[in-house]
Amino acid sequence: MSKRLVQLGVLIAILVAWYVATLPGGVHPLLLPPPIPVFRNFGVLLTTSSIWPDLFVTVREWVTAFCLASTAGCLIGYLVSRSGYAVRVFDPLFAGLYSVPAILLFPLYLLFFGLGAGSKIAIGTTIAFFPVVLNTIAGLSYVDKAYITAAKSMGANSAQLFWSVMMPAAFPVILTGLRLGCIVAFLSILGGETISSLAGLGHRIVSLAENMETSQMFANILFAVAMAIIINGLVSFAEARGRRGFQ
Amino acid sequence: MSERRGPLLSPGITRLLVIIGLLVLWEVSARFYADPLFLCPPSQAVMALKHIFSEPKIVKAIEITVYEMVTAFLVSVAFGMTVGLAIGLHGFTKQAILPVVLLLYAIPQATILPLFVLSFGIGPAAKIAFGISHGIFPVIVTTVAGVQNLRAPLLTAAKSMGASRFQVFTSIIFPHMIPSFFTGMRLGMTAVLLGVLLAELYVSTAGIGFYTRLFAESFSPPDLFALIAVLAAIAVTLNEGCRTMERRFSRWHAM
Amino acid sequence: MSGAETVIRIDGVSQAFGAPGDPRRVVALESASLEIARGELLSLIGPSGCGKSTLLNIVGGLATPSTGQVTIAGQVVKGPSPQKVAFVFQENTLFPWRTVIDNVKLGMAFQGVPKSERDDRAQESLKAVGLADFTEHYPSQLSGGMKQRAQLARALGLQTEILLMDEPFAALDEQTRMVLGEDLSVLLARTGKTIVFVTHSLVEAVFLADRVAVLTARPGKIKKIISVEEAHPRKSSFMTSPKLSALRNELYELLHDEIRKTMTLRGETGQSHE
Repeated sequence: MSKRLVQLGVLIAILVAWYVATLPGGVHPLLLPPPIPVFRNFGVLLTTSSIWPDLFVTVREWVTAFCLASTAGCLIGYLVSRSGYAVRVFDPLFAGLYSVPAILLFPLYLLFFGLGAGSKIAIGTTIAFFPVVLNTIAGLSYVDKAYITAAKSMGANSAQLFWSVMMPAAFPVILTGLRLGCIVAFLSILGGETISSLAGLGHRIVSLAENMETSQMFANILFAVAMAIIINGLVSFAEARGRRGFQ
Repeated sequence: MSERRGPLLSPGITRLLVIIGLLVLWEVSARFYADPLFLCPPSQAVMALKHIFSEPKIVKAIEITVYEMVTAFLVSVAFGMTVGLAIGLHGFTKQAILPVVLLLYAIPQATILPLFVLSFGIGPAAKIAFGISHGIFPVIVTTVAGVQNLRAPLLTAAKSMGASRFQVFTSIIFPHMIPSFFTGMRLGMTAVLLGVLLAELYVSTAGIGFYTRLFAESFSPPDLFALIAVLAAIAVTLNEGCRTMERRFSRWHAM
Repeated sequence: MSGAETVIRIDGVSQAFGAPGDPRRVVALESASLEIARGELLSLIGPSGCGKSTLLNIVGGLATPSTGQVTIAGQVVKGPSPQKVAFVFQENTLFPWRTVIDNVKLGMAFQGVPKSERDDRAQESLKAVGLADFTEHYPSQLSGGMKQRAQLARALGLQTEILLMDEPFAALDEQTRMVLGEDLSVLLARTGKTIVFVTHSLVEAVFLADRVAVLTARPGKIKKIISVEEAHPRKSSFMTSPKLSALRNELYELLHDEIRKTMTLRGETGQSHE
């Protein structure tokens, strides 16, 4: 209880500090707009449909990228995990590629797919692919040997072994990969839109910044932040539900 | 458990063959089927490295990027650990500040990138600041977690042997924190690289972003591939450096 | 048990890991031979690493011996034979994502029991181990002793003639294993199964078994077989009887040197903590 109070107090202190900083003589309003107009603009965003076209673009890119990445990641992960040798060949390969900041590919994607949705979908898919494939491999190839031995001793055939033992044992790990993929797809699409784009939430924020409409811009940032937090919450919830569903 | 005849090649060699195969596939398809305005064979990209390195302005831009990465990393680690220790060692600050840190961590930082450029201009300052904004959070969170994971029996054991507060810190808390310091450094490095590169690519009037745009708009994929390959190599080197340090200094932890 | 029909025949079984000549080669078992009669409970006891579990896995077809063979009811074992042999493992191998009863039923599904029969059989075997009230629990909600009961129920549900138990009580505390041991003795006397039981505990071996096979330190060989002439089910009074103590002491004598031998091999002796 007192913990919540402390946290609330800190949040209020931050808001107050923000307000005080923007009083005359403080930070220039172009760099830090006062909180009240920001929240007013945020209210306008929520109650009007002006943001919908850009929101739609971003969401469509995100959903497409996530679907592509999760399909490819699960499929390739499954194929690799079928042989221990393939795991030893490909797991370090994927892990190594994962340590290259994939955002570097974005200029190439811009060249290949243009400024529109294509390049965002491509970067989102690339970045989301790795957590999905790595977790699928990890989940399926590191199932506790004792379960497999027990199932074999009871006469399980390979289909039964896969569906009744491997899948349920690996599922939580794969689900974590999907959750991470879902979130990084969203973040990298926002990043791509910020760097170079024609439409979408990131594009909207950049053009507001270029027009020096900082209080509008802050309202839109607030919108994106709220969206990221909601997505995070929803995906974590879905992960927890999915785990239980399989138990 | 019985002896089975393994595959003829070790996994490492097969991995190398897979990579070579993919490069050959790329080379052949780019040479014979692709539009040279968009895709170039890897051999041409390798040749273009010479061009990249003979252009002093490009070399300068790469040097500045490395400087930004290293500076942002060092600041992130120094500040992140200090803040992390300050937060983690006291119950009250942990309750009060950690949620705020986690909230800030959850912000999609790409959206505030224009703000950094507005505040710091298009030079290295904005990119370093943006790199820090990425790198500092994982360092803080891992440091706090490192303090938290301290096992109470160890502290009790030390106190039972008459250790002073200072001795407890130097001989229990500090060695115990070392693995999480290095984990924090590794995660911080990954995040800093992302932040600096995002900012570099975003600012298209100077630095790396200028050249990636120039090469893309002038349809010279070999230069673009070469530049990206150089940056990727730098990033991988920095990442692997951190990873090696982590492995080296966390060895006792794996026992 | 003399005169009873032999069900499991272990014939000169050796097991080595690693190629001959390899310095890391480990010979776990060396020409072990044993005959186990129908309805008999045989304990395998020996220092750790002597190949008791390996021998059990070979009998159950989970491992292939380097030389020698095992026959069950006249047929050479070449792989798992779930129709004839059920296992209870030391580690908890209940699938954590399934309820207790679903775990029991899954075993039957693997074995090929028709769906319509599974529920009745599962209920019955859970009742037999005293878990009738816990059928819908998940393994994580059970205590260690209950988990081992559930594993036993899963093995019983397979209705095999032979039961192989690999240190089933090793992870439990002494009091729990005492109660489980008594219950097991009652249960097994009723079912009349042929059982091979690997254990570390001298008392457990004597209390449960008709015969105790003592293995030597690695490479494991059968050093001696001791008969325990006592009717099943064994009462708790047997636990405190001089007869049990005498047999236990005999086992202790047989094992003591072997255990020292393995400890010296691994460098665990020196300052003795015993």
